[in-house]
Amino acid sequence: MAGRDVTADAGTRDAQLDAYLAELAVRMRGPRRCRQAILTELADGLAEATRDHRAAGLTPQHAAAAAIARFGTPRAVADGFAGELATAYTRRTMAWFLATGPLVGVWWLLLGHPDPGRDGVMALLAAVPVIPLIAVAIVTLGGTLATTGRLMRWLPETRPRQALAATVAIAVLCIAGDVTMITMLVASGVPIRLLAAIAVAGSLTRVGCSAVVLRHAARMRGD
Amino acid sequence: MPVLPMRPDLLKGHLDTLLLAVLEGGAQHGYAVIEALRTGSAGALDLPTGTVYPALHRLERAGLITSEWETVRGRRRRAYRLTAAGQAALGEQRAVWDQFSTAVTAVLTRQPWPAAT
Repeated sequence: MAGRDVTADAGTRDAQLDAYLAELAVRMRGPRRCRQAILTELADGLAEATRDHRAAGLTPQHAAAAAIARFGTPRAVADGFAGELATAYTRRTMAWFLATGPLVGVWWLLLGHPDPGRDGVMALLAAVPVIPLIAVAIVTLGGTLATTGRLMRWLPETRPRQALAATVAIAVLCIAGDVTMITMLVASGVPIRLLAAIAVAGSLTRVGCSAVVLRHAARMRGD
Repeated sequence: MPVLPMRPDLLKGHLDTLLLAVLEGGAQHGYAVIEALRTGSAGALDLPTGTVYPALHRLERAGLITSEWETVRGRRRRAYRLTAAGQAALGEQRAVWDQFSTAVTAVLTRQPWPAAT
């Protein structure tokens, strides 16, 4: 009988901890892998705290309740992690923009085939008129990545809300750039061949992904 | 005199240094860091989970600490340890704190200022 009570108590303890972590999981916003890592880490901490309270003489159920009280409400813990999750989201998204930028841009560049007889910058601008937008996006992206990573030891740190704002700015710049390029291609009346089709497809994919980024960023900012 | 728990906002600017100091003795997991702060300060630094864990993640992002996952008692555990950069930052922050605390103590423990005439 006593053995059954202990098992039942342990079951209640686990249910308490699981319910706490489940509520926390619902309240956290951010990259799935980061959230999962945080939950795994907190589950270990809760188990250790429960173990300490058990060693102090509490029953499994009371030990779990005391550990949960020590950790704070799921809302308070989720709020505490909101900034880190927002920064993790920003850095991951910016790395994605950085990696995919050239993959989309190269097709437009090939399509515009800069005139080798003109000055380098002018030829590039004629082929891809949205280059100023790209330059602004790259500077924003580089600055945010630097000041949310190791360089923040020497540079002023970008706060999570500013980092999210930078992510939104880059997504908007990408949408503006891609829509401009597609509009210009359509307005030119040039028949759309394979190269143009690839460039348009790449841009449309990025427009869709940027729209998803805007939606996620808005949710994380609590808009 | 009873030890009063300190509000996390009072620690603004010092939390990073405290965490680095706790990790100076070797790798620790998040809950152990919280407990080390609490017991090491006789209960004055009883900081909430939502403050300490995110601060550890931020320090890792800055390259001042690093973390590794290990398995303990069948559970996955994230253990943090100081990097060389973290050790250097801790040394700098200790020197700054020594200067700061000496200056503040000198002012706070001084006899009352004479009234202005």
